[in-house]
Amino acid sequence: MSLPPSLRRAPTLVALALASLSGCDLAYPEVVVVNRTADTMLLRNPSFSGCIWPVVLANGDATSPGRCLPGDDRVHFKRLNAETYCQDEAQDRTLPGVCPCDGGVAPELDAGDVDADVNTQPMWFNYQTVSSKHVGYGGFYLFEITLDDMEQDFSIPGPYGH
Amino acid sequence: MVSSLRGLGLFALLLAGSAYARDGGVDVRDATAGEQSPIDGGLLGVDGGPDLVSGGPDLVDGGPDTEHAVAPPPVAQAASAPTQASDVVVTASRPLSRDRSQSSTVIVGERMRQSTRTTLFEVLSQEAADVYVPGRGVGLHGVASGATGGIKIRGLGGSPNSQILVVEDGVPDYQGIFGHPIPDAYVPSLVEDALIVKGGDSTLYGSNAMGGVVVIRSRWPDQDGYEVENDAGYGSYSTLRESVSFLGRANAWDVAGAFTDMTTQGHRAGAGGSGMVGSAALRYRWTPSLCLALRNKVVHVQGGDPGPVSTPTPDHWFDVWRDTVSAQLNYRRDKLRLSATPYLNLGVHRLYDGFYSHDYVGGAIGELDLRLHRAASVLVGLAVQGIDGRVEDRAAGERSDVSALGDVAFYGQATLRPLPTLNVVLGSRALASSEYGFVPLYKAGARWDAGRGFFVHGRVARNFRQPTIRERYLPYPVANPDLKPEYATNTDAGVGYLSAHLEIAATVYRNDARDLIKYFGAWPAAEVVNIDHIAIRGVEGRVRLRRLGPVSAMVSAAWQEVGRYTRQNPDAKIDFMVEGAHEFGPHFLAANLTGEWVHGLYMADYERQGIPDVFVMDLAARYRYRKGASGQRLHALEPYILLRNFLDRRYAYVSGYTMPGFNVFVGLKLGI
Repeated sequence: MSLPPSLRRAPTLVALALASLSGCDLAYPEVVVVNRTADTMLLRNPSFSGCIWPVVLANGDATSPGRCLPGDDRVHFKRLNAETYCQDEAQDRTLPGVCPCDGGVAPELDAGDVDADVNTQPMWFNYQTVSSKHVGYGGFYLFEITLDDMEQDFSIPGPYGH
Repeated sequence: MVSSLRGLGLFALLLAGSAYARDGGVDVRDATAGEQSPIDGGLLGVDGGPDLVSGGPDLVDGGPDTEHAVAPPPVAQAASAPTQASDVVVTASRPLSRDRSQSSTVIVGERMRQSTRTTLFEVLSQEAADVYVPGRGVGLHGVASGATGGIKIRGLGGSPNSQILVVEDGVPDYQGIFGHPIPDAYVPSLVEDALIVKGGDSTLYGSNAMGGVVVIRSRWPDQDGYEVENDAGYGSYSTLRESVSFLGRANAWDVAGAFTDMTTQGHRAGAGGSGMVGSAALRYRWTPSLCLALRNKVVHVQGGDPGPVSTPTPDHWFDVWRDTVSAQLNYRRDKLRLSATPYLNLGVHRLYDGFYSHDYVGGAIGELDLRLHRAASVLVGLAVQGIDGRVEDRAAGERSDVSALGDVAFYGQATLRPLPTLNVVLGSRALASSEYGFVPLYKAGARWDAGRGFFVHGRVARNFRQPTIRERYLPYPVANPDLKPEYATNTDAGVGYLSAHLEIAATVYRNDARDLIKYFGAWPAAEVVNIDHIAIRGVEGRVRLRRLGPVSAMVSAAWQEVGRYTRQNPDAKIDFMVEGAHEFGPHFLAANLTGEWVHGLYMADYERQGIPDVFVMDLAARYRYRKGASGQRLHALEPYILLRNFLDRRYAYVSGYTMPGFNVFVGLKLGI
């Protein structure tokens, strides 16, 4: 049994109507951020045009695809150089055991030898890509973070409120 | 319970439920000419009509809230009105304005309910170019960091939003701790009309009415029977809105209730949330002259600060509950009106960072309005108010010490009519504050209706705002207990022409503000201090064409010089609207196009951190089918579609808070 002609297009029209309602965000561009920096470089909480990925990316790691707002933005992230961190901590003698920085073994320390003022927490610094990226509706974009396309990000705005 | 009600809303939508009993086409009194003029103007037979800068005479009385007049039947009549009467008695509300010399804009509730803008404050901004309200997404402004919705009127207000006072059904509405209203607490379901008083009026309204006042009046049934209206809609970003209102009158009892629930996932991570507003009112009329009304309104807003798009903060949530309860006793005889309004406004706020507060604003207002002579009337009032709260940082386990604020004020206003075409308004307020001692305030203005629709008006007013508890005591980001109150002397003068089809008006203004409270720097080096003196100058004008065949149109434009303090205080703004409507038998078809352009926006003072101009346009279309049943009762079915930002422009009122691109909302109203 076939539908009357007036109803044949109904499913299509209904689908179009529903798509127009829900489709604005479904048509947002999909974005993936990949860490292509160095083995000792960790990236945390990359964000781009309304998306933020609460992850830590080791070199070669990628985020899951996120639906971001169409438009232009740079990729923002926090960076930790594990090599530098390790060197600093070894210098402050807070890391007993192997120190890969100088190829040797640091002397064993008593807990009391460590300066109480030394901050052993790793410092993550704000960075962003030098280049601005453009994303449009319906696209899939893979952005690789490289050492020659990053700079410190001093633009983090303060909170806006009333 | 809320979620189940949302489910009901979706169910109602699926069942195509909606009720529409009351049409916009209300005959309103043209206060300028003192005549009856049917104004429908625009889309769906409703017009802001009284955008008419007139407010209407204080010298005109009616019932407790209404006045009656004989007029030709309007194009669209109230739901239960006779449909075949040659002369019918229509009921129009008393003018909201109590000062004919002030510069103001009136927007009727039906126009708000049909707007493409997602919040009531944004609707007000669309109607008047000298009113600026930033937004950040679909339907929610939020609170605390990242919030928008601050109203700026002629350069004052905004951030913080405590220089603009919202008065809802005679009750000043703001938070005790932060001193400003919750922008998401207002929905148009039951709004009869709203008045924007430009240039403030602390003489009549007290503290915070410094840059302007938004006076909101809710609907009451005007004849026996009932009406139910259901408006359910669904749109982009999984936005679901359900609104139901009920009006009923039986014998001496009137009842009015409304419930609105909106939930959205937002156009990006963290931008979602929900808002629920429920209100109920009960009125008993002992006699036509004496009545008592009780009101309660509950607001629950949940959401978050999504943060700038480059560094989102999707976990910065907030949760706000507020409840306002009030009573109003009204007595009205020929030349006398007496009213007493006690009120209490309570709130509980929770934020992601451990912030937790209780606050209250409580008080009472008594007023006597007396017509002494055909050419003179006086209004005197006594207002008492107390503000207090408790604030904790639950994460740090700390509690902030705050001191309550209180004030008592006696005020008066005289309206003189030395000539039939001339109104002179004089007023003063003596305010005694628990913190700031005696505060004298005053105003003086005049309006001359020159005939043939031309009018001239001018006014000067000295207004005042006391520092909020937050500014004095709370380290968010910094406090200063030695702050002094703010003062502003606002002056304006305007001319205009008003006829059935054309309205042209222009106003120049100057606001001289002293001791404005401003935040500088960022934590931990921030400070909040009084600044010396600033002057804001500007001009505002509008042209409105009404009912030129099926078409109506409006353009409103404003330009201002705000001086050094440019943060979120635009240089220029234009709002426009074109609409067409056609009625054929029981069918009604209408469409409108609205737009807004904002120029000269900065995120910091001294013209730093400028952001691109805002330009956005929306489209709306609606169809209505009305059918009379069982003699006098009308049923109406009204599907509509709103196409917001149909040019899909990238724009932002606040840097980093990009607004949604093209998005769609469809809905259905059903009226009984």
